[in-house]
Amino acid sequence: MAPVGVTTLANSFDDFEAFKAFPMSSGNNPRSAQLTLVTKAPDDSRKANGGLIWSKLMARAQDGDRQAYRTLLQDMTPYLRSLAARCFKQPGDIEDAVQDVLLTIHMVRHAYDPKRPFGPWLVAIANRRIIDRLRRETRHKAHEIALSREHETFPDPMTNLKEAPEEAALNEAIERLPAEQRQAVRLLKLKELSLKEAALVSGRSIAALKVSTHRAIKSLRSILKHQSE
Amino acid sequence: MTVTNTPDLIETLVECATPVRRLRPPLMRAGLWLAFAALILVLVAIAHGLRSDLAIQMQRPLFLVGMMAALATGILAAIASFQISLPDSSRWWLLLPVPPLALWVSTIGYGCLTDWVSIGPDGVHMDEALRCLATLLMTSVPLSIAILLMLRYAALLRPTEVCVTGGLAVAAMTAFALSLLHDLDATIMILVWNLAVAALIAGLASLFGRSMLTWIAMRFTPTAR
Repeated sequence: MAPVGVTTLANSFDDFEAFKAFPMSSGNNPRSAQLTLVTKAPDDSRKANGGLIWSKLMARAQDGDRQAYRTLLQDMTPYLRSLAARCFKQPGDIEDAVQDVLLTIHMVRHAYDPKRPFGPWLVAIANRRIIDRLRRETRHKAHEIALSREHETFPDPMTNLKEAPEEAALNEAIERLPAEQRQAVRLLKLKELSLKEAALVSGRSIAALKVSTHRAIKSLRSILKHQSE
Repeated sequence: MTVTNTPDLIETLVECATPVRRLRPPLMRAGLWLAFAALILVLVAIAHGLRSDLAIQMQRPLFLVGMMAALATGILAAIASFQISLPDSSRWWLLLPVPPLALWVSTIGYGCLTDWVSIGPDGVHMDEALRCLATLLMTSVPLSIAILLMLRYAALLRPTEVCVTGGLAVAAMTAFALSLLHDLDATIMILVWNLAVAALIAGLASLFGRSMLTWIAMRFTPTAR
């Protein structure tokens, strides 16, 4: 992470009571040691009362002050990123979660009461969105299958050497078919066209294509059987 | 989404940052909803007329306790749902309507135990039941729409909790209206209606509340446009 980000992070860490609920110094976070080292941040003006400053910025943003809103969103982004980084490993996922939280804050910004502390409000929203994303991710993963090595090597011809002799035999057998049957097999089975498409391409009727395919499969079976004997 | 990069997103959000009107305190908003509920109740009562035997029924402690418990459940569930809709409020607010709810349910249960024998062969009249259904819809539909609109921003924050408490508030208010307006022949009818209404509305709220809330939030959130 860039030094600027770390500094801002350190600022906001000191500001919030909310961190009592989510202690960064827990042993399972490898970054906590690095973060606690940055104790002296160059910009100390916000450190004393950062939560209050964010609260004021939000109050001004609610009144339509765009500059205050920009400052607030930019200031809170590294902090949100740190919250998201506890639950997501991929940088893309972290950024998605941060953007989700920013959008939510934008949509519910009228629900913030400037008399109440800003930190717990922000942390509650961020956690809710992050948990929702985690749930969705888990649901998605339940329907996914990890790619195995077989899947990965499949398209590369060099990785399919084992199947090459059989393929060659099949190609040879197809070459030996009568022209009509050969065309039907190529269009329908090798190129995997639909009957309609194959009829358009070949200019033959669907019924003729069906008959040719049926005959071709029959002939291929006998040719290949003959070869293996 | 067309924006992929966080600084760009911030710029877009800043451009859309029109002034917003802050929400009033949750208690005041719950009060507004309850005032609306009272208005609906008065209108339905004017249209339909109070039940003829209300004075007699009022002297029955079981009826009175049950009705008041339903009213209290409605009021406290409304307060709870407005409180819980704020992201930084405590989850303990969920427990607020539990005591009157327990009392209400126990009066229903007690009534079932003592009065179930009283249904005679002519105990159930379909026309009265249909008028009950009309009252039920006239009360619960506007109240549900109002609370969904008022709490639409909670769709992104705590949809389930808000739907449960909001649904309970609507159900309790509707049951209160039913017991105030309809004289059903058998006491069991009121009890069944009470239970059925509560189960129906709470069930609908938990099934569709979340998606309804999201749907309404997408269309009526001023900042989302």
